[in-house]
Amino acid sequence: MTAPLTPFDHRPDPVLGAALRDALQPRDREGAAFRARVLAAAAQAPDPVVDVLARWSRLGIAAAIVAALAAGALVGRTGRAAEPAVAVSDPGAVIAGVQAPDANILFAGYAER
Amino acid sequence: MAIEPQRPDGAARNARDEAEAGLAVRARAGDRAAFGELVERYAEQARRVARAVLQDPDDADDAAQDAFLAALVKLHQYDAQRPFGPWLMRIVANAATDRRRRRTVRRAESLEEGLVAGGPRPDVVAEREALNGRLRAALAQLPPRRSLAVTLFDVEGYSHAEIAEMLGIPEGTVRSEVFHARRRLRTLLADWRRDE
Repeated sequence: MTAPLTPFDHRPDPVLGAALRDALQPRDREGAAFRARVLAAAAQAPDPVVDVLARWSRLGIAAAIVAALAAGALVGRTGRAAEPAVAVSDPGAVIAGVQAPDANILFAGYAER
Repeated sequence: MAIEPQRPDGAARNARDEAEAGLAVRARAGDRAAFGELVERYAEQARRVARAVLQDPDDADDAAQDAFLAALVKLHQYDAQRPFGPWLMRIVANAATDRRRRRTVRRAESLEEGLVAGGPRPDVVAEREALNGRLRAALAQLPPRRSLAVTLFDVEGYSHAEIAEMLGIPEGTVRSEVFHARRRLRTLLADWRRDE
């Protein structure tokens, strides 16, 4: 053994390293069969680009839904705020009527005030 | 016993890291040939690292294969500014550790025999195989993190800092794990050499 045995030793031990390498080295040194196996399995795996696009499209759909809901809520609130607060001389007549009141009558009542 | 060169240093290492980052970026864009080149470069290392945790070579190869496929799917998470090797080895280490966790203890029990069996040594090849068997058995008896730390440091030449990042532990813990693993393995190796 070449290197001293201390936890502060920052150098690899070449003798132990070589012994372990030899012990862990697969017997089929070229590893051609293993590499072929991995590549064949990779060919069956989903394409990373398609996978990423699919993930983005899911995110895009979710974002579009949120944006549509937000826009709908905003438009609804704006629409309510834009409704004119009218005053009429006889509010009861407006409520009791079957037909919608004429806008001129409503505004005339407001103008009289 | 031949001492093979470990990871290159300095400029050679930077050039290699850059080339591999480029391959990873191309693989991420769907270039299967680039992925094949990465498999070519890292197949042996991945198999050795998996075997440090899983004594059964078939189990180790399955774990290494799982790791390559997981890496392919997770390539969008890889930061091309950093070396590819440590990123991949982290996935290999996780795949091997998960597989070991799922495995039954039955196989581990049979390892004891390899450690205590001395027996006759008919020739050099048989001697070497016996030593290899003992080393693998000793590695298999270590906690997975310890086996990985010593293999990544002494066999694959990664730094303590890189291993810390791969295993998700502090650098000081990596040093401690390497120290304890070496103490166990060096004793085994020294006993073997004394017997020679």
